[in-house]
Amino acid sequence: MKVLVVGETVNGEVQNITYELVSCAKKLGDYVTLIMSDADVSSIDGRVIKVNAGEPNPVYYKIVERVIELEKPDLIVFGNTSIGVDLSSQLSTNFPIATRVYNVKSSKNLKEVEVRSMAYGGKVVVVLKLRLPAIVVINAGSYDAGEGMGKASVEELELKYFDIDDVEFLRYIKPEVEDVDISKADVVVSVGRGIGDEANIELAEKLANLLDGVVAGSRPIVDQGWLPKTRQVGKSGKTVTGKLYIALGISGATEHTEGIKAKNVIAVNTDKSAPIFRISRFGAIADVTELLPVLIDKIREIREK
Amino acid sequence: MEIEEMLENLFKRMEEVPDYEKFFQCIQCGVCGGSCPYSTGTVFTPRRMVLAIRAGIVNEVIESFSHWLCSSCFTCSLRCPSRVPITDAVIPALRELSLLQGNPPEELASALISIARYGNPFKKSPRKRDDWTKEVEFEVPLMAKKKSAEVMFLTGCYGAYHSRCRKITKSLAKIMHMIGTDFAILGNEERCIGDLARLNGEFGLFEELAEKNIRTFSKYSFSKIVTHDAHAYNALIREYTKFGFGKEVLHHTQFLHKNLERLKEMFNSLDYTVTYHDSCYVGRRNGIYEEPREVIRSIPKLKFVEMKRNRENALCCGGGSGIWLDSVIKERVKYRPAESRVKEAFSVGADILVTACPLDVPMFEDALKVTDLEGKLEIMDISELVLNAIEG
Amino acid sequence: MKVCVLLRLVPDLVEELEISENEVVPFQYIPNERDEHAIEEAIVLKEKLKDVTLDVVGIADPDSADEIDEGLGFAAAKGADKLYKVILNRQTFSRVEIAKALADFLNDRGYSLILTGVQAIDSFAGSLGGALARFLNLPYIGGAVELNLNEKLYVKKELEGGISAEYRLPLPAVVGVLSAERPLSFVPFTKLRQAMKRAEIEEVELEVPKISGVELVRYETPPEPDVLMLEGDVEEVADRIVEVLRDISVI
Ligand SMILES: Cc1cc2nc3c(=O)[nH]c(=O)nc-3n(C[C@H](O)[C@H](O)[C@H](O)COP(=O)(O)OP(=O)(O)OC[C@H]3O[C@@H](n4cnc5c(N)ncnc54)[C@H](O)[C@@H]3O)c2cc1C
Ligand code: SF4
Ligand code: SF4
Repeated sequence: MKVLVVGETVNGEVQNITYELVSCAKKLGDYVTLIMSDADVSSIDGRVIKVNAGEPNPVYYKIVERVIELEKPDLIVFGNTSIGVDLSSQLSTNFPIATRVYNVKSSKNLKEVEVRSMAYGGKVVVVLKLRLPAIVVINAGSYDAGEGMGKASVEELELKYFDIDDVEFLRYIKPEVEDVDISKADVVVSVGRGIGDEANIELAEKLANLLDGVVAGSRPIVDQGWLPKTRQVGKSGKTVTGKLYIALGISGATEHTEGIKAKNVIAVNTDKSAPIFRISRFGAIADVTELLPVLIDKIREIREK
Repeated sequence: MEIEEMLENLFKRMEEVPDYEKFFQCIQCGVCGGSCPYSTGTVFTPRRMVLAIRAGIVNEVIESFSHWLCSSCFTCSLRCPSRVPITDAVIPALRELSLLQGNPPEELASALISIARYGNPFKKSPRKRDDWTKEVEFEVPLMAKKKSAEVMFLTGCYGAYHSRCRKITKSLAKIMHMIGTDFAILGNEERCIGDLARLNGEFGLFEELAEKNIRTFSKYSFSKIVTHDAHAYNALIREYTKFGFGKEVLHHTQFLHKNLERLKEMFNSLDYTVTYHDSCYVGRRNGIYEEPREVIRSIPKLKFVEMKRNRENALCCGGGSGIWLDSVIKERVKYRPAESRVKEAFSVGADILVTACPLDVPMFEDALKVTDLEGKLEIMDISELVLNAIEG
Repeated sequence: MKVCVLLRLVPDLVEELEISENEVVPFQYIPNERDEHAIEEAIVLKEKLKDVTLDVVGIADPDSADEIDEGLGFAAAKGADKLYKVILNRQTFSRVEIAKALADFLNDRGYSLILTGVQAIDSFAGSLGGALARFLNLPYIGGAVELNLNEKLYVKKELEGGISAEYRLPLPAVVGVLSAERPLSFVPFTKLRQAMKRAEIEEVELEVPKISGVELVRYETPPEPDVLMLEGDVEEVADRIVEVLRDISVI
């Protein structure tokens, strides 16, 4: 099987997802990676086609289309990222597509491929068969980025007669100046919709204070304005890398768990089948609003001693 | 919304409330503001709200957030010499204006959306409403199975879902089971009764809930409803009647009182000193003062003491319609009535503070923690005390 | 300017889904949260620009056709001008096939802007927005968290890791909304009821074409997670968490 990896760069830097995609492709057969900016691609393993188009842009699906014509891959893999979804969905009118994929089954068969997708907020695994050539959109964290790193053999490709100015990239917008940097904190106490009321965020803050940590949250908590944007963990927020992540009333959608790279995760949820337990080292079935006051008291007592 | 439209909406809503015309008899005496536990944090006390509405500057009240600093404790309404329906009309109608403008406090909005979608404010599945029945040793009869019972026992949302309040529900169910009451619950068919939605200005949702619940009631045959949810009790006897509901409703304090002779035979002595907190919608709003006291007093050896602020002068726990406004109120008012109340209970020498509304118990238990009274004072619903006496 | 927002229903995860090999049955359907954000953003745009007429197109299956009404009612109460209910005749879960059917419906209606939520929890075979844009031959951008119009459309798009970027597009265009720039506004029941009474919902049935290439093998319940469960009542759980915190020397 021949795989085309559609890599990603932001501000001239190859994104981690690219290596994960290469790692996936490697397991399936021959592969080549497409990079559409002037980034330093030297550590991508294998053949790299470089089209120096510019900063990420949804309209670059046209470039991918041309490269598909040239390379004739059986499978085109994208990351389940902001730009990856833009590009892949625009190509899906011509190729069978599966999204939220976390596993692609390797086989010698060049007619079809079986993939596993995690849907319904992580509550259902969907097994799909795609006729080749096809597109799969892969969740971050599904493959080991390390295996996708190596030495690149780069081919520059110039595409002519190309009209791609209907969507223009204007500028990057950096995150707001932050009060605390949750990505660097050792202990992160994170709240999701299960916290119930805005008033209960105070409980999380108390716990965080006792553990010398910081409070973070899932996207809905931020969308509701209960926590500032700088405190969002996940795909479109921060990645936490410290020693401990306590997930309180968070379901564990992949968009959220992508941002959890902490060494230990403790999850508390009332739903025993919440997907968050899948990435946790420790779990507890409990109502966070009940547990927190008790837990806070116990830790406070120890602290005071 | 233009001011004209606001005023029109406001009056249209207030007109529906009994004694609406008393609004015009406000003599600006200020008794209301003087009685309100939140008067220190508010720009517009009830007196000033009335004045502002009269002056046509209702928008300033809305912008000031004053209409959210109220737990519907009913003190102002009861004390008002002109009987202006502040708690039932003025404040909810003002709140409705904020709802119509689409920007109530977030916490309240999410509770209301959840009630509309799931029939409870906790975003819990309506199918889990009867989960508490799995935590008692006997089978709690379901109306859907039994079709007919003497007593229909309504748990209310807190009683069904809130873990602390579920203990109260279980105690009461157990008592009914022990004294042989012919009762059944609606279980997963029950929906939020809606009193707190109404008091928060969500009149439309309240109507919807009332109609739905009454339709469910009518499927079964029963002669009375018993509930320990003081707000459910209030709505059933005062508001549901407007939608054609006419069955007898007993608050659990009344129910226990009616069965007191039977209960007395089962009581063991308890060696505690207890005091009783008159919950707003049991006491002040609905005049049930003596029944709970008689029940408590008939427990052998139990010592009963009164707090200074008792009966109609009892202090609000801060729950009520303020239960979903906690962060809004906290931001603006330093004073926490629940903290003052538990201190008062402790100061009269009580080991146990007995209450009769599910919202009180978690409110007071939280207050124990910040006042350093944990372990020194216990909070119990009256049904828990009664069960204690039975089980010895 | 005519703006259109697509509103879908998705399974409500507040209750367990019933999962069998060839079916996932939810306890009820609720509006897709991302689509609700798309409606909110359209309302924001309407407030900013004044001369916007907003159509909301509810998409439902025959068995959820009634459930979409409330979602449409909310949209009307917030300020949508015209409501459509599109009932899909389909055997498919494929978003691409649905996009094809919708493109035929939306074509030639003169929309300058078509908004849709960037994702839905029950989509695993494609995403609606991009496919729709291709069938309509319009530019597309997803991940939008803010829209502004100044001759062209300015879109703030969220990338990964807290970084966003601004893009400029000519109209007409299709945009996938991630979040509205403000929290969803509240609609009281009275307003909803009035809106639902007033609202005329134009009902349309659409045949969804079959585009082969994606086949469902089966649905599965995810495997049991490899996690150490701290069992017990609240007290015990708290004690065990304290133990864990000690073990990993956080306290
Ligand atoms: C393009 C895109 C990007 C996204 N980026 C992000 C991102 O960066 N970060 C992010 O977080 N999300 C992101 N999302 C959203 C994501 O898909 C989920 O919707 C979100 O993470 C869910 O948040 P939650 O877990 O707080 O809420 P829910 O999914 O609603 O989960 C609430 C959980 O709380 C539990 N619960 C309820 N009550 C209690 C209680 N009393 N005690 C204990 N547990 C309780 C429930 O069982 C449930 O598991 C993104 C989505 C898209 C489409
Ligand atoms: S107590 Fe009654 S009469 Fe006096 S100011 Fe208040 S509302 Fe008016
Ligand atoms: S009901 Fe109670 S809280 Fe509300 S205004 Fe009157 S006195 Fe104040």
